[in-house]
Amino acid sequence: MSSVFADYGALLLRAAGITLWISWLGLLLGGLLGAAVGLARTSRWRVLRILALLYTELFRSIPVLILMFFCYFGLPLLVGLDLSPFAAATAALMFAASSLMAEVVRAGIDSVARGQWEAAFASGMRYRQVMRHIVGPQAVRVMLPPSVGVYIATLKESSLASIIGYVELTKTALLIRETTGQSLEVLATITLLYFVINYGISLVGGALERKYAIAHY
Amino acid sequence: MHPAAAATQRPILRLEQVVKRFDRRVILDDVSLAVLPGEVVVIIGPSGTGKSTLLRCVNGLEDIQGGHIFFEDHLVRAHSRSVIEVRKHIGMIFQSFNLYPHRTALENVMLAPVIVLKEPRPVVEQRARELFDKVRLGHRIDAYPGQLSGGEQQRVAIARALAMNPSLLMFDEPTSALDPETVGDVLAVMKDLAEEGRTMLVVTHEIGFAVEVGSRMIFMDEGRIVEEAPPREMLANPKNPRTQQFLRSIL
Repeated sequence: MSSVFADYGALLLRAAGITLWISWLGLLLGGLLGAAVGLARTSRWRVLRILALLYTELFRSIPVLILMFFCYFGLPLLVGLDLSPFAAATAALMFAASSLMAEVVRAGIDSVARGQWEAAFASGMRYRQVMRHIVGPQAVRVMLPPSVGVYIATLKESSLASIIGYVELTKTALLIRETTGQSLEVLATITLLYFVINYGISLVGGALERKYAIAHY
Repeated sequence: MHPAAAATQRPILRLEQVVKRFDRRVILDDVSLAVLPGEVVVIIGPSGTGKSTLLRCVNGLEDIQGGHIFFEDHLVRAHSRSVIEVRKHIGMIFQSFNLYPHRTALENVMLAPVIVLKEPRPVVEQRARELFDKVRLGHRIDAYPGQLSGGEQQRVAIARALAMNPSLLMFDEPTSALDPETVGDVLAVMKDLAEEGRTMLVVTHEIGFAVEVGSRMIFMDEGRIVEEAPPREMLANPKNPRTQQFLRSIL
């Protein structure tokens, strides 16, 4: 293991950076899309709620690898849209993360007491103002821990991008294994790298949680 | 209020044959009511008879299935844009306070004037500080709701409602969730407000308060207004058997 890291350390660290970046991008885009779907799930309009529910259930039940295949091989055939491995992997991670984040956002909003909405509406606020100043800030605190979980899941799923030829951490490790033939050492090295990255994310998430905890709740 | 003055004044709030249903269940059944400026109207009655629902219909938190509600010159319609105009002028105080837990007491009071009325912060803060003195909480201005007792939270909620300079204050069982020893502080503040000549619509079980400050008492049962009279008169001489029965059960 030491020899693998000694020879290929810089390459592996750069690959770890790529993995962090693509999963962060997937989480960010998925979070935005998921927030929209999650808001739709709490909407007053039934049609919107049903559509959002269907979206969530659909993308939650498709394996991420199939989503990647679909984005990489399916889209060119269906609509003539050629995506690079990077774009296809990012899109797949985004769809996967969005279905999870939609649930996180919905649960976060539902966790805010009905009386908070009523007090805010009674004072003349509009939906957007209530969301921004009253419900949103309280919901985000509830959403933070599960969001960290989604980020970690997305980061692990990003290893599947190696299969459509995107060179991130897993793909880099597989290439090193082919070159050196040191299977066990390579596996041990990326296992450790994934652990360090995800444990780091957990720690940062925990720190954020403490920072945004409501004083004297 | 002097009868002659009452005759010339237009009601601030008018309910005309209001009907409210949840599914098939009738919550408000043909309720008509007018509130004049400066009146303190106290609504009493058994729980589950639509008293709170009536308040919630007035500011459009609930929609109605029949009749009309007029506040000043606005027709109140839940889920409409125009209902916001109505809500700006009606302060509501809830049984469970509903303060915003992530904001300090001061911020709770300042939020709506700044966001809804778009008033400058310094102006609002000045007014908020005066209101904290009025509700006798000048020393708790920077506390979070979670650090306040129930009675203190309810007084912050009253300051929050007053910060909008409302022309009607609605109290939905404001002391029902309080420890007995803090009820008095809240009632004292409400009494001050009544004596200032504020128009108030109060759902409460505090008969003593109703008699002392109420200009009119309304007894509701099963979604209907059963009887209406000056508080002392209703207490001394309830006409309807259901009123008699209710008053016997609580006194």
